[in-house]
Amino acid sequence: MQLENLYYLKTELDTQGILFSFSGPISQTLLLEMGDTLRNKMTLEKATPSITLKVFSMLVEQTQNIIHYSAEKRTPLHSKEAVSDGIIVVGYENGRYYVLCGNQVHNNKVNRITNELTQLQNMDKEALKDYYKEQRRKVPHADSQGAGLGFIEMARRSVTPIEFNFQKVDDKFYFFSLKTSV
Amino acid sequence: MDNLKIEATKYTPKVSFNAETNVLELEGECYPENIAEFSKPLFSWLEDYLSHLGNQAVTVNVALSYFNSSTSKMLLDFFERLEAEVANNGKNISVNWIYDPENDSAEEYGEEFKEDLDSLSFNLVEKEE
Repeated sequence: MQLENLYYLKTELDTQGILFSFSGPISQTLLLEMGDTLRNKMTLEKATPSITLKVFSMLVEQTQNIIHYSAEKRTPLHSKEAVSDGIIVVGYENGRYYVLCGNQVHNNKVNRITNELTQLQNMDKEALKDYYKEQRRKVPHADSQGAGLGFIEMARRSVTPIEFNFQKVDDKFYFFSLKTSV
Repeated sequence: MDNLKIEATKYTPKVSFNAETNVLELEGECYPENIAEFSKPLFSWLEDYLSHLGNQAVTVNVALSYFNSSTSKMLLDFFERLEAEVANNGKNISVNWIYDPENDSAEEYGEEFKEDLDSLSFNLVEKEE
């Protein structure tokens, strides 16, 4: 990257209302730091404690989704902490905060994720609550390292339906992106 | 038996399970990368404790200002384990869900646990300033 382009990149991010973004290796330690920074920044901007906590909650669920499910997940031998490649963005537009996350997934995951998120998009808040409680009672999905409740929690807390997209990377991988707003 | 005391970290709450006073407390935030790693010692302590427990009143205070979705599953498992002891063995256990009134989600989360529990006494308690 050309040195001069850094200013344009920063200006572009500011113009889009982006509070912060991180692209690269994502870990729990990074999440802690991002979370503290976000909460401090939102407190300075006089966001209410309730809104601040909701945005923080989205940041946690979406970042941990990358940590658990990125196809580019590695755990160094000397560490218990996974490092997963992805991108996370928190911004503000049209009077709302939004959180974007993106990571690569294996192509065999695309259908399952699409079906699950489409199902969530078509549920109202009451249906989402019932589905959340039903899933919470169930044994986690074999592929699920959290409790498999992350997407439902995001859908419940987002004021607009979850938006998501898949873009083909190559024969094996797709780039998965997701947006929520508070 | 020994008490269980675990200091809080930035992403796990303070744990204070006291077998002498019969007060079990969780306080702080909970969003570890791997919830099983955190909860395993809690559940094994709890099994041991419940197997020795008589008719004393047990108070469980849960004051979590934030927890992630996998912790929510762990909490339900925890409350259901306590509920089973009340329903099957007639134990006297009550849970206080302590929430900050400025945080509307915390009260709502507490209400949802309460809806899912029948015989366990589950109280929503506003945190005092």
